[in-house]
Amino acid sequence: MTALRRASKFFLPFGIFILIFLLHTPGNSYASDIGNCLLCHKYAGMSRVDEEGKMRLFFVNESIFVNSVHSKVKCEGCHTDITEIPHKPAKKVDCLVECHIVEPSTEKKFSHKDVDTFLAKSVHGTTDASGKPKKYVEDMPMCKDCHDEPLYRPLSFFKKVRPGISDAALGRCRVCHKKEDFIYRFYNHVTTRLHKSRNPLNIAEVCARCHDDETIVARHGLSTKAVFSYSETFHGKAARFLDERIPDCLDCHVNKGESVHQMLSHKNVQASTHEYNRGKICSNIDCHPGASPKLATYGVHSEFSLEQSPAQYFFTAFFIILTGGTLLPLMVIILLDLIRRFFPNATIKGRK
Amino acid sequence: MKNFFFKIYMLGFMVLVIFFIAIIWQVTFAHLFEEYHNRKQALEITKFKEQKKKEAEKTTFEKVILESEEKVKHYLGYKILEEKRIKGHFHHIGFQVGPDKRSYCVECHGDMPHDQLKDLRAFLNMHAFFVGCETCHVKPEGSQKVRVFKWYDRTTGDIVESPVKGSTPGTYRAKIISFERIGGKLERIDSEERIGFVREYREKEKSLTESQRSKAKKMIHKIVSKQPVMCEECHQKEASILPFEDLGYPKERIDSIISTEVVGMIKNYTKFYMPRMLHPGEAPAPAPAPQPEPVKKKGT
Repeated sequence: MTALRRASKFFLPFGIFILIFLLHTPGNSYASDIGNCLLCHKYAGMSRVDEEGKMRLFFVNESIFVNSVHSKVKCEGCHTDITEIPHKPAKKVDCLVECHIVEPSTEKKFSHKDVDTFLAKSVHGTTDASGKPKKYVEDMPMCKDCHDEPLYRPLSFFKKVRPGISDAALGRCRVCHKKEDFIYRFYNHVTTRLHKSRNPLNIAEVCARCHDDETIVARHGLSTKAVFSYSETFHGKAARFLDERIPDCLDCHVNKGESVHQMLSHKNVQASTHEYNRGKICSNIDCHPGASPKLATYGVHSEFSLEQSPAQYFFTAFFIILTGGTLLPLMVIILLDLIRRFFPNATIKGRK
Repeated sequence: MKNFFFKIYMLGFMVLVIFFIAIIWQVTFAHLFEEYHNRKQALEITKFKEQKKKEAEKTTFEKVILESEEKVKHYLGYKILEEKRIKGHFHHIGFQVGPDKRSYCVECHGDMPHDQLKDLRAFLNMHAFFVGCETCHVKPEGSQKVRVFKWYDRTTGDIVESPVKGSTPGTYRAKIISFERIGGKLERIDSEERIGFVREYREKEKSLTESQRSKAKKMIHKIVSKQPVMCEECHQKEASILPFEDLGYPKERIDSIISTEVVGMIKNYTKFYMPRMLHPGEAPAPAPAPQPEPVKKKGT
């Protein structure tokens, strides 16, 4: 007993010191890298050519990764086959894997399985209603065709809505929550989810990878290069100016309150773009409340094509010719007048 | 004098009118013509894309990342992240460095030259990103030997100041090159003379006979050492080949490079894979020595 007391006298201050040290060590913002994978993978040139002749890049940009939604997921949460160092070539990541994060409302392990279920039933699913593979199934998008590592887009609401973090709001968080890492992540997560997780222009660019691809448009019999025609409209042009309020592809093609992965064909009666439902798109409370349902009947995806939309074609051509036909002669006349003023005595040879 | 200013004014006005004519032409009739031609060319573009797809199969780091035209801007609101896009690559790259235009090795061997040792090739290519090929593969002997290494700019090839401080490790616009002593003078291993010889060989390669080609290749590779610089020759505290301090590495980076973590990792890899590195291309030994236990990852 005495020996125990003596030992505790010796080890107690030492233990307290270690405890204090651990508690006061600043929160590691790269906490997900418990396996110290970034020791090697932080180097940009970490790459090789694989057996199929394709370049494989194993670089993870640390400074960008910490601002991504997966920053708290351990590397092996996705790369599940990597359990030791040195490791063999990693297997392809399965996005549907259950990771270590617990979804707080159900207290079950988090996974993207629901997204897969939604996607399977959507217009982008790989099988048709009867379960048979669709024609040109290789064109159907997989996770990485639309998604790279999603990054936080925090917002401040304190005095006005602006991009970025509100220090005033963080100050409130700190009253109850003590871990800086937790506060920062929670703030980013919530405010990113309170608005578009991607800028409308970025959304349009993602859709354009397939929907503006001539080959894909042709073999799936699509009526238009969707993003090109969108970019010709007022909405598309505003998106070019990085307007965040402007509708992008998802605003019209997904039913309100549903996941963007539940996009349906316009032939499906449940689709927001079906002719029965289309009228509600423009007049929804966030866009043009009170607008007539007929507003949605305008040609959103009209191209400057005689075959596709003859009315728009002649209308546009008329205005182009009218504008050019009026302004160009006017400018030429002004130029001739200026030349005369510049050379008041000039004459064409032989004429008086 | 008044007449002079009037002329200047008129001239300026004329330039302005011509400018407006060009703008109006662009947004009206030129737009019509462009649309017409675009549609005509659509089929050709599709064919061209198919051809490009085939070409893309021959990927190199340079083509895919350093010279890639496909850029993407992520509008995050508080900032814009602009980076090269690699199809199917999930993690963000977020760095901008130009291709290595100085290295004459890269012209034949590519910018991911290490491919024989499956387990090490990514590590070796990672080093090739900021260390010149000659730095490891050429070991000057005798009077030629000097312990001088400097950074050269990837684009211009000029010797530059150390880019290490303030940069993300390994994402420099410069690479390390070694020097040798020739006739009492310090010279870069990748001398203009050597570069000139290789470039001339590349130009005339097709017109040379097999034996001429073989002879030229031997001359080019004459300086290459049989055994390259090994990992632990640099990753060590006492007598590292690379003078990290002279190369501008701050103390904490040097500590990291020679840390137990890195050196331990090298030892593990060396025991696992390195014996074959000394004899690339040869079949592995039939009965390898008992391998050490791999390091269990922390947290697993």
